[in-house]
Amino acid sequence: MKLRRMLAFSRKEVLEISRDPFTVAVAIFMPLVMLFLFAYAISLDVENAPLVVVDQDKSAASRDLQARFLNSGYFMLKAAPDDARVAEHALMRGETRAALFIPNGFARRLSRGEPTPVQLIVDGTYATTASILSAYGRAILYAFPGELRLPIQPEVRVWYNPQLRSRDFIVPGLFAVILMAFPPLLTALAVAREKELGTIAQIYASPMTKGEFIAGKLLPYAVIAFLELLIVVGGGLLWFSVPIRGSLLLLIVVGLLYVVCTVSIGLLVSTLVRTQLAAMLVALIVTLMPAFLFSGFVYPIFTMPVAFQSYASAFPTRYFLEASRGIVLRGAGLKEIWAYIAIIAAYTVVVFALAAWRFRKRIA
Amino acid sequence: MLSDPIVEAEGLGRRYGGRAVVQDVSFRVGRGEVFGVVGPDGAGKTTLLQMLAAILTPSEGHCRVLGEDVRRRAGLVQARVGYMSQGFSLYDRLTVAENISFAADIRDVPKAALAERRTQLLAMAGLERFQDRREGALSGGMRKKLALCANLIHEPPLLILDEPSLGVDPLSRRELWKILEAARAAGRSIVFATSYMDEADASDRVLLLRDGRPLAMGTPAELRASARGRVYRIETAEPAAIERELASDPEVISFQRRSGNEIRAQLRTARPPAISGKAIASIAAVEPSMEDVFTVGSADGAPPMSAPQIASPMQQMEGPVVLTEGVTRRFGAFTAVDKVSLSIRAGEVLGLLGPNGAGKTTLIRILCGLLTPTEGRAEIAGFDVAHQSEAVRTRIGYMSQKFSLYPDLTAHENLGFFGRAYGVARSELESRIGWAVARAGLEQIDERPVGGLSGAVRQRLALACAIVHRPQVLFLDEPTSGVDPLSRFRFWRLIAALASEGVSIVVTTHHLEEATFCDRLGLMMDGRLIAIGALGALMADLGLSTASVEDVFLGFIARERLRDKST
Repeated sequence: MKLRRMLAFSRKEVLEISRDPFTVAVAIFMPLVMLFLFAYAISLDVENAPLVVVDQDKSAASRDLQARFLNSGYFMLKAAPDDARVAEHALMRGETRAALFIPNGFARRLSRGEPTPVQLIVDGTYATTASILSAYGRAILYAFPGELRLPIQPEVRVWYNPQLRSRDFIVPGLFAVILMAFPPLLTALAVAREKELGTIAQIYASPMTKGEFIAGKLLPYAVIAFLELLIVVGGGLLWFSVPIRGSLLLLIVVGLLYVVCTVSIGLLVSTLVRTQLAAMLVALIVTLMPAFLFSGFVYPIFTMPVAFQSYASAFPTRYFLEASRGIVLRGAGLKEIWAYIAIIAAYTVVVFALAAWRFRKRIA
Repeated sequence: MLSDPIVEAEGLGRRYGGRAVVQDVSFRVGRGEVFGVVGPDGAGKTTLLQMLAAILTPSEGHCRVLGEDVRRRAGLVQARVGYMSQGFSLYDRLTVAENISFAADIRDVPKAALAERRTQLLAMAGLERFQDRREGALSGGMRKKLALCANLIHEPPLLILDEPSLGVDPLSRRELWKILEAARAAGRSIVFATSYMDEADASDRVLLLRDGRPLAMGTPAELRASARGRVYRIETAEPAAIERELASDPEVISFQRRSGNEIRAQLRTARPPAISGKAIASIAAVEPSMEDVFTVGSADGAPPMSAPQIASPMQQMEGPVVLTEGVTRRFGAFTAVDKVSLSIRAGEVLGLLGPNGAGKTTLIRILCGLLTPTEGRAEIAGFDVAHQSEAVRTRIGYMSQKFSLYPDLTAHENLGFFGRAYGVARSELESRIGWAVARAGLEQIDERPVGGLSGAVRQRLALACAIVHRPQVLFLDEPTSGVDPLSRFRFWRLIAALASEGVSIVVTTHHLEEATFCDRLGLMMDGRLIAIGALGALMADLGLSTASVEDVFLGFIARERLRDKST
């Protein structure tokens, strides 16, 4: 391994990248675009869901119940008709997510300690929202002062993200997804481009060894990926004011290991294809798709069928995602996440070795 | 010398899938020798050279390069040779100087020696003024010269060059060869591939390759000797009549018109062609050129071509079929085509000649209605190309350099697609395909995907696709690039047959000698049409009595440059 040859190759790569506005844009701006797009777009929080209230009782108690719903922040008043059929139509047309029916005699029954029927109808078309809304509604109803007493006093607390802000867990997840999306793509395209243009032939017919080639290609793209890491972590934590409870340094160090891993995946992809188009497709299939769907980024892995759980385990995104969320949300340290780090490291070694084994200084 | 060969190949072969691309090639190259591998596209030249550079593992045989086995010690071979692949092999976003430095760094050139070598090489290539220019912004010829410099920077004992002058204009070609001469004088061995037969004469020894197999090998003199007595030069006042007679002699393999009244013919046997004496001024056996050698060699064992039948001429237009008046096309500040005016009659063959970037392809695209002219107007069969492009497109056929066929479809499927795309009615499609196949000289079309066919067959198939809708005007953009001489000759006979049926033909070519197949020549330079006329008239214009097409071409360019300077 000669340093001069390797560095010459890396330097050439940097010159090429710096003169290609497309690559620079994909490398620097696209991760930011994706960060903002997803951090703003993906929200699992339910706030201000439209609610139609049909209050037939019109008593102080019924107004109190209505106010508790509207002051919770989860619901906002869409309409307050007297006719139940109006509420039904609103649900049918999708104009409201839920409807609350307070029947005649609500206050009277309540004061007498009789069973008091109140109906909350939730639109189940969006199942996730519906389950969250019905849980919120139930909580409000149970807390309403009346004769209803529960046999035990539950004390449920949410740790690590007490407000259940979904952005706080989306953003550290996005670090894992974004760094899997762009660095391998750029790397795979760079090698495929050399194959497509035929410039790689002069590399084959030269003293450069494959170690020098792979390391020389890895180095500049790992640096770019590291810059992307700093950009998305900085942007994510500062702009979206996601609190980081653990060590930022630890996050950056694990992130560095992770980007070397993702760039290596790009190199491995490039050894399997000849054209840039194929590189792009294969890169998307082995990186972006599993990173989105099978990393626990939005859909938790532990709720998946066993077969898919093991499929998900085959991609490194989930491990970095666990580490990233652990550090950011739980304040986890090395002691808690060392296993994930070890898996990512092992994964990197295997992928790099595969890429080196697959790479041949041969045309075919 | 032979005790210490630079290259030793023994029964070398390479298969892809089940297909043998190179078979049973054996040769040696000594120190300081220039070895030419000559053959048409698809002959296996690239594959052979890649095996020599140890970047492709041979399937059969043995090969030692610089004393090392290309299979077991590939790394050592790769490290020591200079290998210039086809096309542009350098980084287009890097400058000239950066490309050279990169080549030096990855090839372990001592830092101390670099500056001097770079200066020397770039000076020889005429590139020292362009050190800070991006490689991609250089002309094709300059890029090739730079790639050569990058491969000479480590002073390799062996240079392997894959079609170094492909697509390079004649002037740059000469400069490229000057650099190679210097490398050879410095004791380097050179193995190069080319489809330009005339370049073979620059080599000490030549390997003629056809369909992956060696056709012949030897010094150019030895090879010529093998065809001696089978090549004749005929001088005549009536070349057209003589050509008709030659065409009907089954012993005649091929013939070419060299200048106004000179024809060259190659025969299967060592006897003069059977032609009547009336119009002949002189007939004599001449020293065969490398092209003759290839033609004679490839005809041995190949069946003669049946003469294309000529149908009754199509309904012919009075007046010009193609007409342009002051056609100009600019791309930003760059004028690609500059005030070109010309007219072409029905059944006329017009050859457009000019260096790379002269505007030939742009002009053809305007005439096809693919680009609108910035100024001036152009008509095809009376229809304005800019405003009536639909009417124009059904009347023209276009065949590009790349033979744009769909490689995964069969010949028949390709023809069917192009026929329907050009609006041939379904009821007529089969008969049109049959007609086009016969016109293109394809005896039969088989069910194989087109991708696996030889270059010459794909060329004719592309011609068939371009004429399946019976166009009045046919545009051929370098239709004979990289096709062997015999197939080229046969292709031109098909063109002549189409022209005699009344089809007007506009053709561009890099093979200047092919210009003699054209009725008139248009010489283009920097977007301008600097001369147009029959070859004889152009010669008379320059005051030449006998001259090759290349002389005429260079003569007009020199005259134009002189004129540019004086104004």
